[in-house]
Amino acid sequence: MIGAKPRRILITGGNSGLGLALAQKLARRHSLLLSGRKSQTEVAEILPPGAGYVVADHGDPEMSARALVRGVRDFGWDGLDNAVLNAGTGFVAVGGVDSTDAIRQTLDVNLLAVMLQAQALYPLLRKSSGTLSLIGSVAHKGSASIPAYAASKAGLHGLARALRSEWSGDISVQVLHPGPAKTDMHDKAGYDPGRMRALFLAPDDVAAMMASAIAARRSPVTLSWVKYLNGGAYTGRRL
Amino acid sequence: MTSASKRALVTGGSAGLGAASVGWLQANGYEIVVLDRDRPWTGKTPVQFIRCDLASRTELDDVLPDLIAAGPYDLVLLNAGINATGKFEALDPRAHIDILRVNTEAPMVIAAALLESNACRSGGAMVFVSSLSHFTGYPGAASYAASKDALAIYARSMRKYAASRGVTLTVAFPGPLKTDHAERHSPEGADDSKRMDPDHAARLILADALAGKKSSIPGAGNRVFAVIGRVFPKPVTAVMRRLIYTRLKP
Ligand SMILES: NC(=O)c1ccc[n+]([C@@H]2O[C@H](COP(=O)([O-])OP(=O)(O)OC[C@H]3O[C@@H](n4cnc5c(N)ncnc54)[C@H](OP(=O)(O)O)[C@@H]3O)[C@@H](O)[C@H]2O)c1
Repeated sequence: MIGAKPRRILITGGNSGLGLALAQKLARRHSLLLSGRKSQTEVAEILPPGAGYVVADHGDPEMSARALVRGVRDFGWDGLDNAVLNAGTGFVAVGGVDSTDAIRQTLDVNLLAVMLQAQALYPLLRKSSGTLSLIGSVAHKGSASIPAYAASKAGLHGLARALRSEWSGDISVQVLHPGPAKTDMHDKAGYDPGRMRALFLAPDDVAAMMASAIAARRSPVTLSWVKYLNGGAYTGRRL
Repeated sequence: MTSASKRALVTGGSAGLGAASVGWLQANGYEIVVLDRDRPWTGKTPVQFIRCDLASRTELDDVLPDLIAAGPYDLVLLNAGINATGKFEALDPRAHIDILRVNTEAPMVIAAALLESNACRSGGAMVFVSSLSHFTGYPGAASYAASKDALAIYARSMRKYAASRGVTLTVAFPGPLKTDHAERHSPEGADDSKRMDPDHAARLILADALAGKKSSIPGAGNRVFAVIGRVFPKPVTAVMRRLIYTRLKP
């Protein structure tokens, strides 16, 4: 794609795991604004050179949406070519049932914040005929060890399905469902995959599949071993 | 309460599908606990009424202990739900928040609390009311669609845990009903003869729940639509767009 214009790309949860791996992949060719809950100083060393950073805690969904819009403006952008709403959290349901707090936090961070962010970013995306990518999970079909997490990702699936239709012609909306990847998420969630971890994909490979899925603008897309073994990390479109 | 009597909890039991379900359950010998917002229960046979606006976390936290104490239940119908139709970007963000709280978060919190505290009798059933939109997509009610998909998958994820307590989980996927809810949110000039009578839907859903079925799609037409939606998700969402989204009042 020689001559392709650099894109203005917002990635939430861009300071760790899949979001960071994606940012590193895209940093050379594109202009990036990343977000996370940690402060600027905590993440300064980690971020790819040139990338902007804005603090937006999804734990307060309304405030996080406002923070992102302000972050985009302060960064000097008047539109957005891509928004990758990737930040997410999860808790293993101890004893098989999520606590009330875990249910509320998971839904706030993974689903409600994304909903309100999508709404708030709409004018910016529309202006650039941009692409909105929601990061779901293969767990969106259900999981007994993480019921609230699975529910939140199913919500993203339904949201993307409806919005893709509502916004067709203006903004491309898609949901990408990664399979298990070797990020810190499982530790944070209180889940020890044990030897299963060997089967998890490298964040870098998942990020490569995310990038080509984002360029292709199809939805929904599952990013797991099947796709990987079919060369998903090396072939396909380039963003 | 004698242990011989059957007991049911119905959220959103004061109107629509919930009220229809209360009617059917009373006719079948159940004692009823209704949780609802501001409308008191107005049916013939008295019920135990618990007032709560499920959009409010503090109100729900306040009544949870009462809800548990009013059990144990043989049947729990998590039915309360709200909708807001319109272009996603044009709706008040408050509507998106309330939809997610009432339709998804509250039933998840209630289900988890009841199951964990053994407020459901072994051999009992719990019903989550999702929506036919789970199979068809719902442009014109994106947050509603998201809320009902999330609920359906929560129920599916909790089935094993519930089974360990002897409780079966059923997800109901009703299509359009002749209730105030559907009337408010269907496009102008929509043909209401295609909407199902809530008494009929309640009967079918409760029969499936008592039979321990995993899912209940009341109405043959709706079942066909669900199957087609599963096999051809994109064309069916396109049909939904034509039927609903393009006809939204501006
Ligand atoms: N790893 C997997 O196996 C896997 C599989 C399927 C789907 N996913 C999804 O992929 C996405 C990225 O996950 P990951 O594996 O990269 O996890 P990760 O390494 O834990 O990264 C999560 C990111 O989300 C941010 N985040 C978490 N809670 C937040 C909050 N309340 N407010 C703002 N930001 C918050 C974190 O920022 P801070 O560090 O600043 O908190 C971090 O940047 C998530 O949506 C996850 O559900 C992951």
